[in-house]
Amino acid sequence: MNAPDADAALVDRTKAGDVKAFEMLVVKYQRRIERLIGRMVRDVDLVPDIAQETFIRAYRAIPQFRGESAFYTWLYRIAVNSAKKALMELKRDPTVTESALAARDDDDETSRVENELSDGETPEALLASKQIAAAVNSAMQTLSEELRQAITLREIEGLSYEEIAELMNCPIGTVRSRIFRAREAIAQRLRPLLGTREGDRW
Amino acid sequence: MPDTLEHEAEQLSALADGELDPNGVARTCAKWQARGPAHATWHAYHLIGDVLRSEDLAGLPRRDYVCLDTLREKLAREPVIFAPGTSVRSSAAVGWARKPWAALSAVAAGFGAVAVVLIVLREPAGDSEFRAEKSAGPGASAVAANYSSAASRPGSAPQALFADGRLVRDARLDRYLDAHKQFSGVSALGVPSTFLRGATSDASNR
Repeated sequence: MNAPDADAALVDRTKAGDVKAFEMLVVKYQRRIERLIGRMVRDVDLVPDIAQETFIRAYRAIPQFRGESAFYTWLYRIAVNSAKKALMELKRDPTVTESALAARDDDDETSRVENELSDGETPEALLASKQIAAAVNSAMQTLSEELRQAITLREIEGLSYEEIAELMNCPIGTVRSRIFRAREAIAQRLRPLLGTREGDRW
Repeated sequence: MPDTLEHEAEQLSALADGELDPNGVARTCAKWQARGPAHATWHAYHLIGDVLRSEDLAGLPRRDYVCLDTLREKLAREPVIFAPGTSVRSSAAVGWARKPWAALSAVAAGFGAVAVVLIVLREPAGDSEFRAEKSAGPGASAVAANYSSAASRPGSAPQALFADGRLVRDARLDRYLDAHKQFSGVSALGVPSTFLRGATSDASNR
């Protein structure tokens, strides 16, 4: 791995005994890991448990993490192994039906609809998720060009502050400020949907 | 937004991108509380990034918070991790390495690493206990002091890993060696060491 890992500081603090740093990593990657597991396991009710196991295994193994790959790459592999292990254990369970064993097929529209409803997400919850996505996109449109460009280069293109500074021809401090202001502007639009009150930042 | 809140939210934003200095990281982590304001901001910032990359990640925070609550209970039952050592290169670390005085610091760390290696290699194969009292230099004595304090911390794990009485891994030694390796092409004189090696071989061939 050549590019610096954005998670390095939190990983190192975790290794030094700071479990809060690990919690911050969990919050960061929880959704992506659950989506990955959900694509591998047919029974979406199992996803939260497998995700929990993934993070516990990562926490236990983090002293051996040497940074040869990005932290998320390493975590991704643990999630894949955890999902495979869960599928193997299901196979050994005689009470599990065949339909639960089969890996999910993205082309199977019927099962996809069933799974969306069976994981506890009501149509109202799905609608709320769509509203969140719409709010983010709408907020992006109202940003100034420089804020929108800065957050796009960081979040979608994955560029570092240094690379963005070079592209936008501005100091790194300005990049940092623009990305923060973009995030905060979008978060202001999101907070009513997330149930987070205005003063609840610190 | 009050100035303090704005500053602290900006720190979270920089940390999300790996662009916060180590002191800022420590302060931010110290203020972290599950379901606290920092959690809400951190969650929102990362939700924004996820949604920008893929709209199917637009999940509700309620479920995220419940998952974290459950995980925290499980983490509380895990043994405390203590394996310090900068094994991962961060943007902040790369920025540090570019400073002119960083090379001299790294060379000094390299000498410390050599001293520590000499201590470790001097231990007999059958000795399964790391004797922190032995030290060969100032760098090593600092390491020894840290080992002693780490060992006295309740629930802490040893920094050195032994198998069958032999040293297998020492996280602190790894850090010293990494710092030394990073500048392995530069000698204490500031001249590339390859040049010096070349001069030595030239002299021996005459």
